[in-house]
Amino acid sequence: MINARKEILKQLSSKSRKTKRPSPWRSRHESENLQKRFSLALENVKGEIYLASDLEEVLSILGDVLLELNAKKIVVSDEKPFRDIDFSARFPEVEWHVVGKSNGNLRDFCNSADVGITSADVALAETGSVVVSSGPGRSRAASLLSPVHIVILPNSKLLPDIFTWTANRGDDIPSQVVIISGPSKTADIEQTLVVGVHGPKRFIVILYSD
Amino acid sequence: MSATLRQFRRKADKAITDERLQNAIENAAERFVEGRITALSSVPDVGEMRDHFKEIRDATISDLATHLITFEKNAQEAGAKVHWARNGKEAVQIIADLAKRHGVELVVKSKSMATEEIQLNSALIQQGITPVETDLGEWIIQLAGEPPSHIIAPAIHKTKEQVADLFQEHSGEEIPADISALTAEARRVLREKFLSAGMGISGANIGVAETGSAVIVTNEGNGRMVTSLPPIHVVVMGIEKVAPTWDEVAVWLSLLARSATGQPLSIYTNVITGPAHPEDVDGPDEVHIILLDNNRSRFLGTKYQEVLQCVRCGACLNICPVYRKAGGHAYGSPYSGPIGAVINPLLFGLEKYNGLPQASSLCGACLEVCPARIDLPRMLLALREDEVNRRILPWRDRVMERLAASVLLHPWLFDCLVRLVGKMRLTKVIQPFIKVKMPPLAGRSYRQLWRRGGGE
Repeated sequence: MINARKEILKQLSSKSRKTKRPSPWRSRHESENLQKRFSLALENVKGEIYLASDLEEVLSILGDVLLELNAKKIVVSDEKPFRDIDFSARFPEVEWHVVGKSNGNLRDFCNSADVGITSADVALAETGSVVVSSGPGRSRAASLLSPVHIVILPNSKLLPDIFTWTANRGDDIPSQVVIISGPSKTADIEQTLVVGVHGPKRFIVILYSD
Repeated sequence: MSATLRQFRRKADKAITDERLQNAIENAAERFVEGRITALSSVPDVGEMRDHFKEIRDATISDLATHLITFEKNAQEAGAKVHWARNGKEAVQIIADLAKRHGVELVVKSKSMATEEIQLNSALIQQGITPVETDLGEWIIQLAGEPPSHIIAPAIHKTKEQVADLFQEHSGEEIPADISALTAEARRVLREKFLSAGMGISGANIGVAETGSAVIVTNEGNGRMVTSLPPIHVVVMGIEKVAPTWDEVAVWLSLLARSATGQPLSIYTNVITGPAHPEDVDGPDEVHIILLDNNRSRFLGTKYQEVLQCVRCGACLNICPVYRKAGGHAYGSPYSGPIGAVINPLLFGLEKYNGLPQASSLCGACLEVCPARIDLPRMLLALREDEVNRRILPWRDRVMERLAASVLLHPWLFDCLVRLVGKMRLTKVIQPFIKVKMPPLAGRSYRQLWRRGGGE
C-alpha cells in the first residue's frame, strides 16, 4: 500500500502548519509522603498494600498471604529482589515456576497458577500504580493469567506521579510496559462494578525499606 | 448505517418511550458525570492542564504528517510493520491478507472504535475469519448483533437478564442473571479464546512518535491478553491519535480516564513497542500497525480540523441532554452523542447523517466537559450551514426553516403569531399531532411583560 502512504501524507503535508510544541507539563505535586500517598491511592482502586521493613519481613508477610490464598502453584519472575531468594526452600509445599529457569510450558503454568509474583520498574504514588516491563526473566503472562498478582518492590522505586516517570524514562523501551493500577475490573453490565474479569482478581503490593 | 432527520427522529422517539432504557442511560450518564467531576477535582491546576492539552493536540494535528513519519520510523526500528490504509476497505484487506497468510481462523479483539468504524468484524466473517470481541460489553453486543450504544460503555442498554439470555444461547448452558456469575462466565469462555487465537487485534488510544509505541488502555485486562498471547498483534489506529513524545502522553493519560470513567488511570495502561525481543520469554512474534485515514486527512486545514483532537473519552455523551434522551443507537454509527453528531457527517457523508447536526440544543455542555476543549457547538452550527448551502435537507424541512427564519427576523410578525395562537387556542388544535403535552399559552407573552418593565 505504498500509494496509500503517499496519498495520505501528501494530503496531510499540503495542509500542514509548523507549530511550536508547548513546553512539557511537569509534576505539580508537592513533595509528600510517597509511601502514604501510594497506599491510599492503591486502596482506592481496590488494591492491597503491605509494608515491610526489610526483605526478610517481606517473606514472612508473603507466607501469611500465600497461606490465606491457599496457593499451590506460583510463578515468579527471575529479577532483582528475588535473585537471592530460594522460594522452593522457603515454601516447599508450593510448586514454583521461575521464569526462564524452570522446565515446562510457561504459559500453561501461568494459566493454571494460583499466584504470579513480580517486581516492578517503579511505582507511581498519585495513582497507586506499578510499572511492569517485559524482558529477560520477566513474563507477560506471569502478571496476567493467574487470579492473584503480587508485586514486591523497594520504597526507593516510588515516584510521585506519571509526569515524574515519563520525565525520567530511559532511552531503551521494552517490547511491553504496563502501568497497573489495581485488580482487573468491569462495570459493563448495568454499571455494576465487578472485580476480576480477564486479569487478576486480587492485586497485592508489598513495599519494603531498602 | 445512517442517521437522516427522519431516521434519527424515529429511533429517538422509540428510545424516549422505552422507560427501562431511559433509566439505564440516565443512571450510567449521571455516574460518569459525577465520577469525572470528582476525579478531575484531585488534579492540581486542572483547568490549566486542559488548556495545555488543547495546545498539545492542536500543535500535533497541525503538523500531523511530520509526527506520523517519525512514528512510522521508530515503530519500524522497534520491529513493527507499519501499514497505511486510505479507508476501511484497505484496512480490512490488510488484516484479512495477514490472517490468510498465517492461516489464522480465530481472532481476539480488544475494544476499538476504529475497528467499529470500519465494520471490521462483519468484513472478516465474510472472508471466513472468526473475530471474537473480548471486552465484556463489546462481547455482549457482538452476541446480540448490535452496535455499541456508548463510546466507553457499549452495552449500557442491556439488562442482566438480557445478558444471561444471550450467554445461555451462546453456551447452551443455564446461567443465572447474576452479574458476578455472568462476568465469571465471560472470563471462562474468553480465556480459552485468548489462548487459542492466531491473531490479536486492538485499537490504540495513543501512538507515541518518539518511540513508535502503541498505548492501549483497558480495565478488564483483555487489552493485555490480546497484545501478549496470540503470535500476531495488529493495531488499528486512526491517524489523529499521535503524540509526539512521552511528555504529551503523560498529560493525555492524566485526562483520558478521569474524563471517561472518573478513574485516575485505567487499570491497565499497556504500552506496546514492536514485537517481543529475542530475549523475551513471551509476547507476539509480529506486530503490525495500520494507520487509518478514512477521510480524516480531508479535514486538516478546514473549519472542522479541531474534531481531530478528540480522544474518544465519551464525556460529551454523558453530559448531552439529547444523547441522554435519544440513546446511542439513534446516531446510526458507533460514534454517538455530540462527537458522533459532528464526526459521522464528516467521516461518512452529510447526506447520510443530515439528522445529526440538528440533534443538539447547542447548550454548550459538550464544550465545557471536553478534555481537549473541542468546540463541538461551533462545528454543529457549521454543519447546519453546510446543510443549508448544499440544500441537503428534505424540501419540507427546508420550507419550515425558511418560514421560521422569516418569522424570527421580523419581531412584529412573531408578536402577531403569538397573539393569534393564544387568542384562538391553537395549541389545542395542534395537540393531537404532537407527542409532548402542550399547556395553553399565557395570557400575556414574555415580550409584552418585558415591555411593561414588570417580569415578576
